[in-house]
Amino acid sequence: MSQVEQPLTIDEAYNQDNDRALKFLRPRFHEEKFPTIQILGYIGSLILTFGAYFLVMDHVLPPVSLLAVILALAVMQGALQIGVFMHVREGRGLAWQIVPLYLVFLIAMGMVGMSIWIMLFKSGVS
Amino acid sequence: MPSFLPYLYHTLFPPTVRYPDILLIDFGLIMAGIGLLGFMTKTRRWGWLWREWLTTVDHKKIAVMYLIAAIVMLFRGGIDAEMLRAQLALPTTKFMPAAQYDEVFTTHGTIMIFFMAMPFIFALFNAVVPLMIGARDVAFPRINAMSYWLFAFGAILFNISFVIGGSPNAGWTAYPPYTGLAFNPGPGENYYFLALIIAGMGTTMTGVNFLVTTVRMRAPGMTLMRMPMFVWSTMITSALILFAFPPLTVALAMSLFDRLFGSSFFTLTRGGMPMMYVNLFWLFGHPEVYILVIPLFGVFSEVVSTFSKKQLFGYPVMVVSMLAIMFLSYGTWVHHFFTMGAGPAVNAFFGLSTMLIAIPTGVKIFNWIFTMWGGRIQLTVAMLYQLAFIPTFVIGGASGVMLAVVPADYQFHNSYFLIAHFHNVIIGGTLFGLLSGLYYWWPKMFGMKLNERQGKVAFWLFFIGFWITFTPQYLLGLKGMTRRLYTYPIGMGWHELNVISTFGALIMGAAFVALVYNIVWSLLYGEKDLTGDPWNGRTLEWALPSPVPEYNFARIPVVHERDAWWAMKQRGQSLADLKPEDVRDVEMPRNTPIPFLLGASFFVVGFGMTFKFWPIAIMGFVGVILCILFSGFDYEDHHHLKADVIRSTEASLGRLQG
Repeated sequence: MSQVEQPLTIDEAYNQDNDRALKFLRPRFHEEKFPTIQILGYIGSLILTFGAYFLVMDHVLPPVSLLAVILALAVMQGALQIGVFMHVREGRGLAWQIVPLYLVFLIAMGMVGMSIWIMLFKSGVS
Repeated sequence: MPSFLPYLYHTLFPPTVRYPDILLIDFGLIMAGIGLLGFMTKTRRWGWLWREWLTTVDHKKIAVMYLIAAIVMLFRGGIDAEMLRAQLALPTTKFMPAAQYDEVFTTHGTIMIFFMAMPFIFALFNAVVPLMIGARDVAFPRINAMSYWLFAFGAILFNISFVIGGSPNAGWTAYPPYTGLAFNPGPGENYYFLALIIAGMGTTMTGVNFLVTTVRMRAPGMTLMRMPMFVWSTMITSALILFAFPPLTVALAMSLFDRLFGSSFFTLTRGGMPMMYVNLFWLFGHPEVYILVIPLFGVFSEVVSTFSKKQLFGYPVMVVSMLAIMFLSYGTWVHHFFTMGAGPAVNAFFGLSTMLIAIPTGVKIFNWIFTMWGGRIQLTVAMLYQLAFIPTFVIGGASGVMLAVVPADYQFHNSYFLIAHFHNVIIGGTLFGLLSGLYYWWPKMFGMKLNERQGKVAFWLFFIGFWITFTPQYLLGLKGMTRRLYTYPIGMGWHELNVISTFGALIMGAAFVALVYNIVWSLLYGEKDLTGDPWNGRTLEWALPSPVPEYNFARIPVVHERDAWWAMKQRGQSLADLKPEDVRDVEMPRNTPIPFLLGASFFVVGFGMTFKFWPIAIMGFVGVILCILFSGFDYEDHHHLKADVIRSTEASLGRLQG
């Protein structure tokens, strides 16, 4: 049923949620004429991607430090995607988004970490 | 004659697509195509097809399209299976050449998993999930249509491979180095990677869509713990899809780069790591097997409580065990390649985690049995599949635990024991579940029941055929027969069991014929479902007329407990007591050609990249970008269905008071 409701203001919407104690999670809505942050984020994500690519292709680092640097770049990339393109701070009930985010990190870290653990066998075999 | 034509001919039609049987199929396809074109033109159905189906965003119609695709793909995959069994029935058979045998087992596996089971599951999702939660459509109707068309064009791209260019031939898992350019130069594996990337995008979008739908679109009062179990299974499957498909897409894209652009992620030379593909593939592959079975756990939960006339036993435990399966399924993937030799610590960890999954699964089995306990059981076809599922899945699961024992797995690995195990769980769990759901929800989808008597014939043929086919394969595995074996010499002691297995496969073929006969007969002469509630159901979809009108619910119901419709019936309520003033305008998504065009553009991209015809691929990419841009700036994406239209529809169904 498409009841025509008056859209809530940000403050009203915020006050309807239960996480009033979590002041720092208060949503921020950006309304801008030009998507500066997104364009900067896009350039940033490209830099992170190509940075990783050239580090691997040009063999500038020993393997273990290379792995560490790439993982650090990957974490930065992930944070950038979630923050800039998924607008994680803009929305109601932000506290609820923390739970799935933890889940994502758990599973992603599990996949990456365990893959490294599993594939370490190569150093012993070949 | 221009000089590039012979080149084109040899690229598109190499000798591997000119076997006599394939030429015969080509002829049949051309004849059927001409016949279909003629029929559509003669009966002037093109406009109808475009308006009602190709541009639709209605979840119920998308469900029907998924279902048709799934049944066609079941036919294709089934024919492949029969060909494999014909080749293996007797020792030293020359039914088909070895290269073609490789292609057939590859397409059998890929089609059955990605293009039969997955769309069949999505058909059930689309058909009933919005109805069960009291919603008017899924959260993102246009993305839903895009998912369908990406899947459909991915499936078409995969299926034209055996006519144009040659089929993929590296197994459904497509391990390197079998897929390496040095060893496998034809276009077949490009087809595999591109088709799966395109269909995989659609699947990921379906996962997002149904996760948001089940989280955000539920009717007022339907809390998480009041959702029907099928909705829970949809939510959990969607979450699994969301996490499982990225590793697959990455693995496929990297393999494609190795083949097309000369990178060496998984090559044997230049520091490539072939086993990393295996790792990434199963990082997806193990959650995938739960994507294939958890929705059917949901179906069985609905079916068992409807046909036992009892509430589902242990609802909270069912939810917890399903969530436990979801989490555990991310920690077991190495059991697909124990023999890689990752070391005792890794193998022990993953062996144990695999055995752990048996616990929540066992809990669910007991819950279904206790639901039946003391119930008034009706042996409908849907319930028969449920009853067949329990012992079949238990035995398949038990052989899975045997495979999880690492030292034993070194013996079982890649033998027919493994083949028998996964067919045992996939047919016993997934296929039986899909057919159970098909018989259960068919009246809701099409407005008539499938004939029960014919359905029982198909059921018994499937059930008996299944056991005759796969019991001998366990024994063959123990006798040392390995998978993907093209032929075998006399005197291995294998041929008696293989003959029995092939006989079983023929029975399953007969079961498929019986199923299709049942569907066609019922469409023509089936008993009409006039009540909308033929099974005396428990969940909200049965509160609606069959087939369901475009807007689903004229008035969104309010839910007070689990099994909402059953409780309403107990209180003597229904949704057919609308007053004219209750009905208001409804906002509905508008039909759009964008999803179809997007799928078609991706098909062009896929075809161009398969043969490295770059101009064609670029044209396709331009089409993709145009579709996305147009969709992004298309603000006319919904319309208002007037209350008068809804009132007259409801009145014609006899659901309007006064």
